Amino acid sequence: MTMTILRIIIDLLIAVGVIFALAGTIGVMKMPDTFCRMQASTCITTLGVLGVGLGALLYTIFVMGSAATAVKVCVICGLVLVTNPVGAHAIAKGAYQAGIRPRKKMEIEDYRRDFNE
Amino acid sequence: MRKTTFAGVVSTFVVCYVFWILLTWSLDSQELIYGAVVSLAVALFSSRFFIHEKASWFFNPVKLINGIVFWLFIFPVELIKANVDVAKRCFTGCKNVNPGIVKIPVDLKSMYGQAALANAITLTPGTITMEITEEEGQTYYYVHWIDARLPGGQEAGEAIKGRLERGLRRVWE
Amino acid sequence: MKDLIIFSVCLGALALLNFYRFVKGPNAADRMVAADSTDILISMAMMLFSLYSGRGIYLDIAIITAMLGIINTMLVGRYLDKRRWVYHDDDDPADNN
Repeated sequence: MTMTILRIIIDLLIAVGVIFALAGTIGVMKMPDTFCRMQASTCITTLGVLGVGLGALLYTIFVMGSAATAVKVCVICGLVLVTNPVGAHAIAKGAYQAGIRPRKKMEIEDYRRDFNE
Repeated sequence: MRKTTFAGVVSTFVVCYVFWILLTWSLDSQELIYGAVVSLAVALFSSRFFIHEKASWFFNPVKLINGIVFWLFIFPVELIKANVDVAKRCFTGCKNVNPGIVKIPVDLKSMYGQAALANAITLTPGTITMEITEEEGQTYYYVHWIDARLPGGQEAGEAIKGRLERGLRRVWE
Repeated sequence: MKDLIIFSVCLGALALLNFYRFVKGPNAADRMVAADSTDILISMAMMLFSLYSGRGIYLDIAIITAMLGIINTMLVGRYLDKRRWVYHDDDDPADNN
């Protein structure tokens, strides 16, 4: 009985992760310009990773019962969550400096006012 | 280039060694000695890139508990709210976006605090920090915002990072 | 437990969709964003497959995939940045951006 409830909880957590990953993928496919695609891909790397990782953590602790695997799952999720924003703002700044602009003009653009012209 | 200090080497060594033990997950004596040698070498060569200010803030228990409270309880609430918002925009056709780059003032003084706040802003979907500048003693962030409903300044800053900054100020002040 | 492998296949399919944006994307930043998402989704799928099959080796490969993905992204991000060569040895590396 407890096992069934536990498996349902694990499945729910992983399903939430997959649903947010689906949302991020739809955003990457269909958003109108580069920076908005970048925003949508953040959805994959936060709640997608957190949902899948929490489900996998519960599975390793309560079903498999091995501590080393649980620690490795924690290390993967923590690594992705800590290092991903660094790459995200490197890419955002690099794209703006390389001259990539959205097709439609942005409403508020302080960055161009202060740095370019 | 910065000088290599003793406290910096010690703190980098401790972090590297904990990471090594987590990855190998065995208390065999050979593994422990080998890990100590490798992390000491890494700490000697690379601590001057990591340690910018006071090296031992991480071992202060009050700040450590404040940091754990922030990263485990305050930040996930903001993360889930922003995630649901962006996911709603994605599922309803990706049409109702009005992106813009706003400039917001930040009051944190510590360099680690500024880096942590920039990472937290980038990690919440909908906002990406693009650059950090300093004008006349006041630090400014340039943030790409997917729903730019306010011009830059104090109010936009409150809407983007209000609770995050208040939580982080308790850790790095 | 069959559902782990089902979710793993779902994540692999999402990675393929991201790979479509990687092939089609109009400019370099698009391609890099899609490649980053593909990396992370593949790593997650590998993690679930490792739990399904009970073999620890896939977890190590997932760690290496996540690590190499961030290095890749940083490299292309710094390459796109126009002001990347104004870095001198006597500068303070914290004040240089």
